[in-house]
Amino acid sequence: MSPRLYRTLQALILAALGIFLLQKIWSGTLYWYISNRFLALTVFAAIGFLVLAQNILPRRRPAAAPVDPDHHDHDHDHGEVAPAWGLLIVALPVLLGLLIPAKPLGAAAIANKGVNTSAPLAASREAVRLDIAPTDRNILDWIRAVNYAADPVSLNGLPADVIGFVYHDSRLGNDEFLAARFTLNCCVADASALGVVVQWPGAASLAGNSWVRVRGAVEASTLDGQRIPFIKAESVESVAEPSQPYLYP
Amino acid sequence: MRVMARLARPLLIFGFAFALVAVWLAVTFVSASNGGPLSGAIDRLSTFTTIFLGIFIEAGPFLLLGTLASGLVEVFFNKDDLNRLIPRNPLAGAIVGGMMGLFFPVCECGVVPLTRRLFRKGLPLSVGVSFLLAAPVLNPIVIASTAAAFGVGPVLYLRLGLSLLIAVITGLIFAAQTHPEQLLNPNARAQISGASLDSPPPSVTFPMGKGSGVGAMASLRSGLPRVMSIAADEFFEMGRYLIVGALLAALMQTAVPQTALLAVSAGPVVSVLAMIALAVILSVCSTVDAFIALAFANTFTIGSVLAFLVFGPMVDIKSVIMFSRVFQRKAVAYLIILPLAMTILFAVFMNFNTAW
Repeated sequence: MSPRLYRTLQALILAALGIFLLQKIWSGTLYWYISNRFLALTVFAAIGFLVLAQNILPRRRPAAAPVDPDHHDHDHDHGEVAPAWGLLIVALPVLLGLLIPAKPLGAAAIANKGVNTSAPLAASREAVRLDIAPTDRNILDWIRAVNYAADPVSLNGLPADVIGFVYHDSRLGNDEFLAARFTLNCCVADASALGVVVQWPGAASLAGNSWVRVRGAVEASTLDGQRIPFIKAESVESVAEPSQPYLYP
Repeated sequence: MRVMARLARPLLIFGFAFALVAVWLAVTFVSASNGGPLSGAIDRLSTFTTIFLGIFIEAGPFLLLGTLASGLVEVFFNKDDLNRLIPRNPLAGAIVGGMMGLFFPVCECGVVPLTRRLFRKGLPLSVGVSFLLAAPVLNPIVIASTAAAFGVGPVLYLRLGLSLLIAVITGLIFAAQTHPEQLLNPNARAQISGASLDSPPPSVTFPMGKGSGVGAMASLRSGLPRVMSIAADEFFEMGRYLIVGALLAALMQTAVPQTALLAVSAGPVVSVLAMIALAVILSVCSTVDAFIALAFANTFTIGSVLAFLVFGPMVDIKSVIMFSRVFQRKAVAYLIILPLAMTILFAVFMNFNTAW
């Protein structure tokens, strides 16, 4: 491969990475992958990739020109640095991102990650907010409430109105399901799932991983020794996937 | 054999492209048929891709910063100045190397290309090894994020102190080698000609630290395009190792049940091993790992949380793969085993001797 072609391909892949990131930012799906606190860094990287791409793209200039950018590579590890398959691997994030349908983590990931309420709880130790109106609390708020309330029984009977995806946990009964959410600190690599147990006669007919809005009365309960809220549902309606699928502790 | 070798690369590329097309066809076919035994596999593939992209989108910007830093060092940093700044004494050198992260704020992805660049500028092996291991923790960003997560207290001090100690000891062990250059990958060895001669005489000076004696190697206008072209080359070289590492980490995360790892939070030894395994598998950037460690601070032993905070930034799946671009295989093994042994030793000692 000629150095000029190699440089052109490099520039194209860098530009593709930059556009890929910008597209994720623009469509809001960036938050399917990382926490919103990395937005500024991702914007920087996207612009950085585009600036690099623009700068290394070979100019229309005879190859013998003294300031040809390829010339500088000779003080560099040449030959070894340039296998073509390396280009392909760096293009892999874009290729996989285009080929495999993008989805936020869902019920399939719980099978491996498990339901873990203690991790997101510890991370939010500093910011326990129990002063939110009961119907405004999300699943994470309810998990906090049953774990930090001086007397969990005092929560019993409060009205809940939460959104989560359906997870059929094998530890639950036939008329129960887990309304689950993922929480993450930095990126999906550290995500952990938590949920509330919902009792609903039609639980078995709900498709796993579908998003539902659950309304009903809360009870403090436990599941395998973890304190977990229990909702006796009055209504379970299916809703569209929220634009921000994860919760941040 | 030569013909075979010449054919191997195009075959690999075609095989790779073919595999991608096959995956794409399979995905569209199965998602169209909706349901059936294969949809579980597609869900898992989707989860795998999401985790892979999560790691890449999070780590990529940091690698980009590291390669830009490496380009700046190459173009604007004089070899003789470097040699003047680094003490001759191995212990002092290793300590200076361990503290250099305070001035080059890079995490474990960015530190690898930068270290190699400094080796090529003639940085002594022990100094570079100490820098490589300590810089992902001893830098302003990580100190700030650890303080934000754990507060300014024993966890922060122990993290900084242990990281520096392990880095310096490992650096000294490397300094004791009789032929240190042989531990380096050929492309990381110091060049005979120090300064690149093709840069024009400086017209605009580029200040890099007051009074540090760093000279201007090139003008900004002629230098910046070179910085970019070096950064691009290094992003492609290191990036492919980062991506293979992210693929492996994502594979581990979709294949190894983490619930099993987390079941052993109390044992003074087992908890340390579990948290070290978790650090390696998660492969998250050192700038944010404090927030993840915090999640385990209540349930896991203090020693194991510290082990996560100290060992994770030094060694994880993606950084080990990138190490192979800088060191020979034997040295890579040392770089894993020495910090591992010391981390386990300190962490288990703490578990037996601290009331938390």
